[in-house]
Amino acid sequence: MSLFSYTKPRALSEALRLLRGGATALAGGTDLVTLVRHGVARPERLVDLTGIEGLRGWSREKGKGIRIGALTPLADLETSAQLAKLLPIVRESLRDAATPQIRNVGTVGGNLLQRNRCWYFRDEGVPCWLKGGTRCFAVDGESRYHAVVGAHECWMVSPSDLAPALIACDAEIEVASSLGRRRMKLADLFVAPQGKRRREHALREGELVAAVRVPEGALERRGTYLKAMERKAWSFAIVSVAASARIREGRARDVRVVLGGVAPVPWRVAAAEKQLEGTALDDNACLAAADTLLDGATPLRDNGYKVTLARELVRRALRSLAG
Amino acid sequence: MSPLRVTKSRDEFEGEIYESTVVVEGRDLAAPRDGAAGDEVGRPRPRVDGRARVTGAAVYTHDLHLAGMLHAAILRSPYARARVKRVDASKAEALPGVRGVLHRFNAPEVEFRQEKALFRDEVRFLGDEVAAVVADSEGLARYALTLIAVEYEVLPHVVDLEEAASPRAPKIDPDGNVHDAGSYTRGDTRRALREAEATIDVTYRTSTQMHNALETHGAVASWDGERLTVWESTQSVFGVRNMLKDALGLAPAQVRVLCEHMGGGFGAKLGTYKYAVIASLFSMRLGRPVRCVLTRREENLAAGNRSATLQRLRLASSGDRITAIEHETWSNSGQGRWAANPTGPTNTLYDVANVSSVAHRVTTNAGALSAFRAPGYVEGTFALESAIDELALRIGVDPLALRRRHARSRTDPRTGNRYSLKRLLDCYTIGAKEIGWSERRAGGTRGSAPHRRRGLGMASQIWGGGGGPPAYATVHFETDGTAVLRVGVQDIGTGTRTAVAQVCADEIGLRLDQVRVRLGDTEAPYGPGSGGSVTLASIGPAVRLAAHDARAKVLRAAAGILEVRAQELRLERGMVVSEGARTPLGDVMKKLDNSTLIGTGLRHPNPDGLALKTFGAHFARVEVDLRTGEIFVEKIVAVHDVGRIVNPLAAASQVQGGIVQALGFALTEERIVDRGLGRVMNANLEWYEIPTAMDVPEIVVRFVGAPDRRANNLGAKGLGEPPIIPAAAAVANAVANATGARVRHAPMTRARVLAALSMAGIA
Amino acid sequence: MASQREPAAVDVSLRLNGRDVTLRVPAHRSLLDTLRDTLGLTGTKKVCNEGDCGACTVLVDGRPVYSCLTLAVACAGKHVETIEGLARDGDLHPVQQAFIDHDAYQCGFCTPGQVMSLVGLLRENASPSEDEVRRAVSGNLCRCGAYTNIVAAGLAAAKAKR
Repeated sequence: MSLFSYTKPRALSEALRLLRGGATALAGGTDLVTLVRHGVARPERLVDLTGIEGLRGWSREKGKGIRIGALTPLADLETSAQLAKLLPIVRESLRDAATPQIRNVGTVGGNLLQRNRCWYFRDEGVPCWLKGGTRCFAVDGESRYHAVVGAHECWMVSPSDLAPALIACDAEIEVASSLGRRRMKLADLFVAPQGKRRREHALREGELVAAVRVPEGALERRGTYLKAMERKAWSFAIVSVAASARIREGRARDVRVVLGGVAPVPWRVAAAEKQLEGTALDDNACLAAADTLLDGATPLRDNGYKVTLARELVRRALRSLAG
Repeated sequence: MSPLRVTKSRDEFEGEIYESTVVVEGRDLAAPRDGAAGDEVGRPRPRVDGRARVTGAAVYTHDLHLAGMLHAAILRSPYARARVKRVDASKAEALPGVRGVLHRFNAPEVEFRQEKALFRDEVRFLGDEVAAVVADSEGLARYALTLIAVEYEVLPHVVDLEEAASPRAPKIDPDGNVHDAGSYTRGDTRRALREAEATIDVTYRTSTQMHNALETHGAVASWDGERLTVWESTQSVFGVRNMLKDALGLAPAQVRVLCEHMGGGFGAKLGTYKYAVIASLFSMRLGRPVRCVLTRREENLAAGNRSATLQRLRLASSGDRITAIEHETWSNSGQGRWAANPTGPTNTLYDVANVSSVAHRVTTNAGALSAFRAPGYVEGTFALESAIDELALRIGVDPLALRRRHARSRTDPRTGNRYSLKRLLDCYTIGAKEIGWSERRAGGTRGSAPHRRRGLGMASQIWGGGGGPPAYATVHFETDGTAVLRVGVQDIGTGTRTAVAQVCADEIGLRLDQVRVRLGDTEAPYGPGSGGSVTLASIGPAVRLAAHDARAKVLRAAAGILEVRAQELRLERGMVVSEGARTPLGDVMKKLDNSTLIGTGLRHPNPDGLALKTFGAHFARVEVDLRTGEIFVEKIVAVHDVGRIVNPLAAASQVQGGIVQALGFALTEERIVDRGLGRVMNANLEWYEIPTAMDVPEIVVRFVGAPDRRANNLGAKGLGEPPIIPAAAAVANAVANATGARVRHAPMTRARVLAALSMAGIA
Repeated sequence: MASQREPAAVDVSLRLNGRDVTLRVPAHRSLLDTLRDTLGLTGTKKVCNEGDCGACTVLVDGRPVYSCLTLAVACAGKHVETIEGLARDGDLHPVQQAFIDHDAYQCGFCTPGQVMSLVGLLRENASPSEDEVRRAVSGNLCRCGAYTNIVAAGLAAAKAKR
């Protein structure tokens, strides 16, 4: 494990100043500590954000939706009965995310910004493309958990359970840096590594995610989250689906379908959602939308089964919204 | 006392028969009759070391911290095959706090596992030992490893079983990669196959399973100038001592091995590995204790595994009889020099006239296999018992009925010896009732949700577990009347410590809390390794004899003190009872002052001409989602015929645990190796998925329970391995019943289930 | 490796099993290594050292966490509870007693972590359902497969505590 210095500021401004100077943000540490221990990350300075006031907890302002502080532990969201009433999809997505111990310290911001779980990426001894090497080893290697769609030079998959769920709720994020604040769509935080961009997130140097916002409109939609794993707990998703829609007189409006575990980013295709507008979310409509979502999928040697799985999970998720 | 005599003993260990010379003294006791339960034996008892376990006070090898202790770490090959041309350790040696470096150019000659050198000139798998550092802290030692410069000449490698067996593969053994690993024939299978009314010809695969005991392999070695003391997380203190004394050129008496508590073994800890030799060499050189403990990754590269297998089975039937079984197997032994032969169940389980089996061992550039709980039998039973069901389906017979017809024989078909006891048919009857076999329908039944089908499946188990000599026990008394029982075995988590205390307490007439067990120490007379399900059946009878001897002596001494005749006394739960008087044993012992009484006992040879086997059957109820390939194991019923159950509480735990490990093998556990890199991609507990609490179904455990009175004086046989043997096949058969699709590769992952469903035209 | 020199250690004050302690630890040291190597509290086990197994579970401010993923410096001002701190004057915690009664272990190496997870659960939820108990230990692997009895012990401990 490489050595680093550690500071725990109380003020956000201080943390942002340190980040600007090249320090690395530490929240729950459940991902960063393993990255450092395996030599994949080599920070020299860590800024522990967990002492900062005001970035923890969630609140609702009538008409303005929900704001979730980035340092809120996942367990707090999962166990909040109030939030479960407003936004049940969040609890659904967190229920099978990692383990109770990780959810106790893992934060919302950390979950969204976690690095991918590709075993070539995580192995210090493999010089994969994402780490500056020349190729993706999964392409002709062991690929059962890799991407089937949307990959360019790197075939890792977006691992977060929370991200698809929040994207299906049209979430935005507040991004802070010493230069100020900006807002962006959560979906835009995730980028497929490509060309010169050898990373999974669109944050700029010195920025941190301060909060997630879910607009009021999303609270009126039904949502659901389904996740396929090899074992019944404590696995990253092979495939996951977050779906939401407003159901009026048996017809679906404002449909969102986001896949996890199949692409380098939470996978969403506008045409598929559009296709579902006004349908009764019957089997045919759901499967047709799934086909649009997975159009152009090019599975590797071992992961063709993900297409079958994704298709069925999309159908089930959407059907359950109709029901 | 009858005179001492030297004799031969023939005993089974992990499917093979071994003959040894043993010394026998005195006469054995008869086994108690059925239903003759004592105050302790046969009753559920919490572990006698429970408090130490739940308070964190139990000290495992990992937890040892000795004064002046140094830490060793091992540099491992980053290539699957390479020649080590040069090692420059100067930077590491110059680091303050580094106390020594060993590598192939400076290490002493060491004989270890049939090789002459500790560090190979040609490293043969990714993870092979290249160098070792000893330093003041583990962190420093691991950092120093990164400063060692090694020049490798990379050589062609092959890691995959089927690739290595192909003629185009690079030859990694001079005589080719495929080696004979045993064969067996009875009758004429060719003819039976030719003349059969029905035949099947199917191929099965099982993936490499990794032990992943939670405590990784590790040792602490301490040399005092004359003797070496080694604390090791092991299943066999004597096994470690033997390997170390040979490697280090020491006399047996110069090596003491200790293991008080250990964090799981499952077969991988029957011997020791190079880390213990390295720790010992450093300790002998520096005169300080040295700890060397593997990381999780090292554990999964270089500390053993269950071989992947490829198995072809041909079965023939005429009428309602199976007339022939042919079984040919290939096992990926990695760099191991033996194979865990999968054909054991084929050769011995069923009363089939014509059987022929051939096993091959395939060398690859992967870590060596080691024994893994019922080695060979788990893999072989998955294939054999799947094939029996496939044949039953083909000929339209209920698979349980088909098995019953071939499970009646009272003799071991391989040796012609009569079984000491065989209650397999009872296992079938009990299990079938418990799972509701009569509700099984060909093609399965409707599941609890849309697209789900439900099915039942079962499979049989055969294994040894009779144990045998040599094994010894001594009992002596403290001044307060506490009995101290010493045995040369270890408790690897199965509850040996508690079971031998129960046997001892009953035989003497003490309460359980009046027996203190000392084990896990080579200073005691010999006890066997905890492997092959032999521990209790080997040591238990010796304990009973030692306790019997001690009791007789105590009663004679008590008679002298209480001034009555010994025949008028008995010992009951710690009280010396005579006509009308009850005296605590402690009061008697106090009068003896520092005098004590010592009872001794040994394990007598197994009876001649009898086959000692354990039998069992598992029944599974599953649901399968036809659209997602998800398997839901709802219930497992396990019935075992292992003789007398000494501690029903720990025995049930043992069965539950075996089933959980079997479910991992059946559903999720699989070593994944990148063939190009020769690299294990999931040498961790993230993507190597062992079952969690959420994966465990309802488990019903039943024992036939009849003591095997011909086997030994306890009537008990081993239970360590039987429960991991049949569960995977039972689940596979239930999946096939539910869906009509046969998954012929364990683990039955989503991808494989979906592929099988698709092949069957279902998904 | 950023540097080979011994890193600057920092003083960290925390509560450990109800007592205030001040430690000098380097920033990169995990809570697990601090407990085991610095403080000699070896009841907490190191199995995977990357948050996959739960053997290192301790309570931080009452919640179960993986001590291998927790930096010791980040525990300043917090209350850390380990398996060694559960028994009071020799009396076992109900979860500990239930583990003995139900044979909720085999080799015992995962036991401290399992116990801490269940102690954490029972503080939040005095009468958990079977499913809640199962989920509470879903991040604690047991290679011996003692789960059936672990869940039974968790339920029995909840009953005994009430």
